[in-house]
Amino acid sequence: MSTRNVTSGLIILAALFMITPANAKAADDVTVEVSLDRDTIGLDEHAMLQVVVSGTMQNLPDPIMPSLPMFEVYSQGRSSNISIVNGQVSASLTFNYMLLPQKAGTYPIDQIAVVYNNKRFKGNSVELTVLSSGAAVSPDLEEQAADESGKSKDYFMEAVADKKNPYVNEQVTLTMKFYTAVQYYGSPELTEPTTTGFWTEVLGNNAPYTQMINNRRYKVIERKYALFPTQTGELTIGRGTIRFTVARRDRRSRDPFNIFGDFFGQGMEVTVSSLPVQINVKPLPTQGRPADFTGTIGKFGISATPDKREVEVNQPVSVTFKITGSGNIKSVAEPVLGELDDFRIYQASSSENMSKLNDQLGGSKIFEEVFIPKRPGTLEIPAISFSYFDPTVGKYTTASTRAIKLNVIKPEGYAGQPDLPYSAPDLTIGSQARDIRYIKDDIGSLAPVGRLLLLTPIYLAVNGLPVLVLAGLVLIRLRREKLAGDIGYARSHRAAKIAKKRLAKAKSLATVNQAGSFYAEIYTALTSYIADKLNISPHGLTSERITELLKAKSAEGTVIRNVVDLIQKCDFARFAPASITQEDITESLAKAEQTIVQIEGTKFA
Amino acid sequence: LLRRLNCIIIAAFFAFAPRLSVATTSAGEQFAQANKLYEAKEFDKAIQAYQSVLSQGVESSSLYYNLGNAYFKKGDLGYAILYYLKAKRLDPSDDDIAHNLAFAKQFSRVQMEGVELNPISSFLVSLVDPYRLETLAWISSGCFILLFLFLIARFGLGIRTAGVRLAAVVTLVLLVVSVGLTTFKYRHDYLTRRAVIIAEEAPVLTGPTEQSDVELQGAPGLIVEILAETPEYYNVLFENKRRGWIKRDLVAEV
Repeated sequence: MSTRNVTSGLIILAALFMITPANAKAADDVTVEVSLDRDTIGLDEHAMLQVVVSGTMQNLPDPIMPSLPMFEVYSQGRSSNISIVNGQVSASLTFNYMLLPQKAGTYPIDQIAVVYNNKRFKGNSVELTVLSSGAAVSPDLEEQAADESGKSKDYFMEAVADKKNPYVNEQVTLTMKFYTAVQYYGSPELTEPTTTGFWTEVLGNNAPYTQMINNRRYKVIERKYALFPTQTGELTIGRGTIRFTVARRDRRSRDPFNIFGDFFGQGMEVTVSSLPVQINVKPLPTQGRPADFTGTIGKFGISATPDKREVEVNQPVSVTFKITGSGNIKSVAEPVLGELDDFRIYQASSSENMSKLNDQLGGSKIFEEVFIPKRPGTLEIPAISFSYFDPTVGKYTTASTRAIKLNVIKPEGYAGQPDLPYSAPDLTIGSQARDIRYIKDDIGSLAPVGRLLLLTPIYLAVNGLPVLVLAGLVLIRLRREKLAGDIGYARSHRAAKIAKKRLAKAKSLATVNQAGSFYAEIYTALTSYIADKLNISPHGLTSERITELLKAKSAEGTVIRNVVDLIQKCDFARFAPASITQEDITESLAKAEQTIVQIEGTKFA
Repeated sequence: LLRRLNCIIIAAFFAFAPRLSVATTSAGEQFAQANKLYEAKEFDKAIQAYQSVLSQGVESSSLYYNLGNAYFKKGDLGYAILYYLKAKRLDPSDDDIAHNLAFAKQFSRVQMEGVELNPISSFLVSLVDPYRLETLAWISSGCFILLFLFLIARFGLGIRTAGVRLAAVVTLVLLVVSVGLTTFKYRHDYLTRRAVIIAEEAPVLTGPTEQSDVELQGAPGLIVEILAETPEYYNVLFENKRRGWIKRDLVAEV
């Protein structure tokens, strides 16, 4: 990558960090990875050294190379890489160096480091063995390079497995090497070896290099695979096959004048295959197997990091469990958390990051779990253990996190869960109905359509009744009060009644023999009636006085005459009762009644 | 005089009673018959049967309610809501009627966006809504009779104590309130004419003529208040105070 590109990358990174200054905290995390393409070379060969500086900050420093006096070191350029995963920025710088050996021997390459923030981050050390020319070739390889007649082959293929006897799920690195001593046309076509019974990950092609075998220079192309056996027992890695085109071998074309023969001669398609490789896969030992072992093989570490250490009840804390190491990272299972009394736990996300450093598959797997504290106080997320089998020592190993202490604070208005012997309901039924309610069986009280209660006779009667009762009672009362308070009114009011009584008595005496008593009664009835009506004393009332009084009250003339006649008749009868006939008595009685009725009808002023 | 009045009341009561009881027996049988048809999901026939009970000139809240249910099940939302409204007017406190009315209303294709009612009016509506007009009328009547009992005590019997006076004043206040509420209820439920849109296509126009523009498109089940009328159109007011003119045969009056 050109300098300009690097600069622009840095600008982008700088911008990102301005937006998220919080990430600057993680800036301490710088790693330096050193790797070689091969660990053994001949004196006339070269090795490629790769240094990868990675971290989470904007300005990754260049590595400081130690002096390597046994090699000539040529820089082969650098490249940078930025990636943003889940908002986390990671950047890496890759530096390539070509090492040309000066002398045979074994040389450690360490002390490659970077300095950042006044801190020194050292890379891993590698070792490069330089053999004297030709000595890098094993006798086995020399044998393969020769055909039956002992002549060296123009091309051949070799498959090498680094382990013949691995544990199940342990990495076996398979290297397919294609050797060719002649020129070929185009690009060779590879048919990958069959790897039934393995989980396979291609590690990639190495840069071609040359090697002297049997005094012949071969170009070597390598392709590496990481194989993880998924079952035990004898497994076979099939043949890898390469098909490619070479120039036709024709002795006559070796004419020194026909220098274009090789170019224009017809190409010949040839095929080379590697031999099958037998692998015997061992089962994992049953002895000492931890209970939480889930089949992970390799070498791993586990860490747990909460996003905060102080939290309110019922608020989430996100804990990141990171499992890092070498081995088949894809087969790493989620750590077992179990039930915790103080927390509700939800899995939020998981992600994995695979690396192929030094042909060893590895990387990290991140599980994010959300813990929701149920009660206030200092709560502890216990240490989580993670067990794996380490094939290098042939033993089970358990890594574990540190317990995390959380300060859970009580939010305002927090009320603790009451201790009840009931669990939460299994089902919540909403208030929303699904259908109308059913019809009614009973027709209920029927009424004529549109009837208004206000106009029904019952309603009117019920409401009219008290009005009438009140009116009646008030009238009665008023009358009573008048009677009690006004003697004249009372006498006048009672007059007719008393007169009627007397007349009735007179009627019972209405015979000639009792004429005296009869007329006495009539007289009393009449005089006391008039006295009552006029509110005067009945004693000493003469016909003249009565006439005078009635006239004063403007009574009718006939009435006055009748009264006077009757009084005279009574006087006459009292003094001469013998002259009274039955007719007189009857007439007088009728006249008395008539007169009283007449007076009663008169309104006295 | 009192005896004569009693005679009138009793006579009036007996004049009504036999007529009602005769109607009840045959109507009750027809009602039960209609319910059986409803149970058998013969909704059209059930509607006919319920209607024949109504045609005898009698009504009850259960009758209207069941009729509403039958129309709802038949898929005729407009008539279902119409009869629920009729049922509710006769028995506003019945929970089933209120539930089914609310349930049916939510299926109307057009929903009216609410408008805040006048707070006094809505308070009065909420006050009188759970009671039948008859109940309110009887409460008023009770207050009236009670007031007259106190008046009788005071003016007829001459009990002139402060207690009687206070009771009379309190009863008078109650009477004024109850008569006021009864009047409001009567105006709201009986004098205010309401109708329900029954037609599937119910354009509401800006004026009472064929040429008027469409103000809005109504849908079955929408409740309107009839403000005015012409021989062919009603001037209607929707629940959200939108107004317009709609052809008479597209709505049914409650």
